[in-house]
Amino acid sequence: MSSAALVTLAAMLVLAGLVARFARPRNASTLDFYLAGQRVGIVTNACAICGDYFSAASFLGVAAAVYASGLDGVWYATGFAAGFVPVLLFVAAPLRRFGEFSIPDFLGRRLESEGVRLVAVGVVQLVILSYLVPQAVGSGLTWELLVGARIGGLSPYASGVLVSTVVITAVVVLGGMRGTTWTQAVQFLLLLAVLLWLTALVLGSGFSYPRAVESISAEPLETPVVVDGEWRLDAPASLLNPDEPMRFDEPGARYGRLGQFALVITLVLGTAGLPHVMNRYFTSPSGTATRMTTVWVLGLAGLFYALAVLLGTAARAIVPGAVANRPWLEALTIDGVLRVPEHALLALGRIYGGSTGLGLIATGALVAVMSTIAGLLLAAAASWGHDVYERHINPRATQRQAVRAGRTAVILVSGLSAAGALGLQPESLAAEFPSIIATMVTWAFALAGSALTPVFILTIWWRRTTAAGACAGMAVGACTSVAMFAAGLTIGSTASDDLGSLLLTPTLLAAPLALLVTVAVSRWTRAPAHVERSWLLMHGTARDREAERLARLTIRGVSREGTR
Amino acid sequence: MSRPLDDPDDRRLVADLDRLRSARPVDAFDTPAEVDATFRTQRRIAVGYFVVFLLVTLAVPALTLVLEWWSQGRLAGGMSPYFVMAAAGLYVFFFVLALAAATLSSAVEDRMLGGPDWPADEPEDTANPSDARRSRDSRR
Repeated sequence: MSSAALVTLAAMLVLAGLVARFARPRNASTLDFYLAGQRVGIVTNACAICGDYFSAASFLGVAAAVYASGLDGVWYATGFAAGFVPVLLFVAAPLRRFGEFSIPDFLGRRLESEGVRLVAVGVVQLVILSYLVPQAVGSGLTWELLVGARIGGLSPYASGVLVSTVVITAVVVLGGMRGTTWTQAVQFLLLLAVLLWLTALVLGSGFSYPRAVESISAEPLETPVVVDGEWRLDAPASLLNPDEPMRFDEPGARYGRLGQFALVITLVLGTAGLPHVMNRYFTSPSGTATRMTTVWVLGLAGLFYALAVLLGTAARAIVPGAVANRPWLEALTIDGVLRVPEHALLALGRIYGGSTGLGLIATGALVAVMSTIAGLLLAAAASWGHDVYERHINPRATQRQAVRAGRTAVILVSGLSAAGALGLQPESLAAEFPSIIATMVTWAFALAGSALTPVFILTIWWRRTTAAGACAGMAVGACTSVAMFAAGLTIGSTASDDLGSLLLTPTLLAAPLALLVTVAVSRWTRAPAHVERSWLLMHGTARDREAERLARLTIRGVSREGTR
Repeated sequence: MSRPLDDPDDRRLVADLDRLRSARPVDAFDTPAEVDATFRTQRRIAVGYFVVFLLVTLAVPALTLVLEWWSQGRLAGGMSPYFVMAAAGLYVFFFVLALAAATLSSAVEDRMLGGPDWPADEPEDTANPSDARRSRDSRR
């Protein structure tokens, strides 16, 4: 790695540390540590949600999916962005108005049951671990390509996993939600700047997006495969038209008739059940503010993903012509096609910006990983520290003890995710699942969308939802989705056939099943006693108005002081 | 030492703060009937917008199965309509839909819940919630 790239990386890490240091919680209260005092503004929170949400799967994975599968890969980006529409319509404002610390806290209080809280903690932890492991894998892959250094005799991949885990754990433990909010907002702006910079360089070199799509679609879409231990290019038939080869701008490169729908439904429903994203909504000052925050998120996500898709396309068009006089690129490609699709943005960065460009893209990838890991660790800390420790282990805990429990949970969960990433061999999975990071993150979406989202929506919009119904729904959704994954992996399914699509993106079946079970069990059991009070909190705006009035009066008071 | 409040703005500000402290103002609570009516309206809005969202989003891949031009045709520049929609058009659609839904939902809440802001035109003696609510209802 060049000195310029090293300096960029070091500067970013120092910046993250400084933000966490100076935006650290002002006192040792759990409200400050987990929710940043519930005073995060609309734009700041939108940027922080984007930093939280745009993981390695979004930064490296979307471009990789487009690079490997063309139009079918574009649906990853579309699904990731689309997930915020149901969040806005069904979840954001009522969730914030009810005003708790975490998803388990919300479900436990709304359904007046500690059992629901504990079941939700279990599901939330499963989702968090499913999401954390691919982030750690992404950091390992990026380190392997960018730095290549071994630490303590470990492989470059393992070194990357450990370094990113240690750094971000320190940021979260020191900074809490306030520090993490600002770190994530700054990190998202950096990510967006990196994408804009690379797009400007690519377009400035005379690249024409529409013409590139047309020209690469004229040839069959070739994929590197390993046959008898040797890499070679393969041009499989389209899954929709078996008589035709796969083409970049046509569907059928990755999914059959059912696959695309299963993926979109999985991503759309999954977002509303992601604990790290939903926890950010609790930091807004009001329910109305959460709506506008989501609108901002959708605007920023649209820009971000449109650029990622453009750059994935650009990599497919530009890399073959760039191999000739770049020996480093030749080592990464087979006849002009990258062996690992996740290298698409990194290769493009080095082609246009040399080693500094590579350093910037790699820094962006590490930043994406770290900001998402930070959000996930905070969500884990909130559910362990607040929902388990404060509620069940030590109900008389002081604020300081509760915060310490949250910090301990951060360290334990980050250790578990690093162990998971080290236990995986991403190269062995890459041939089976092109764009392995995006695929693994999809599993987390499937689990969240199957187990949490149906229960969540019913709890907010159906008075008759009961604790027993919610527990049954979460259990059925989680068990069904995990069983379907396991079955899909066991029988060696791929997303290319309809059965494989259904098994590997099981939300299409598991979410309706969870919904039906929740409704059926709720009808047989007694609704919570204080449901009307919950309704006033979730669907009324009294708290919002009071918060706004106090803010207005404070501003008037401050401005009067200023004019004196 | 506290200063006398000569400035009318100061006096109004202190009065507002006192009212907040001493009595819950009229629009600091919602009645169950108001909330229920708002909830039903919001549910109609959310479901309506979600159906539109789902139909448009799923129509993009579904059109390929019935309309060859959708994925084979070329718009100016060389992209197919399907590619243009998936790579950029849907993001614009999501944003516009979200903005419209958020604006409508907030407008519905403003209209159906709470009273007018603590206003200059609200008489001082309406600090009593029941008085102010009667005053608000009479204006509706």
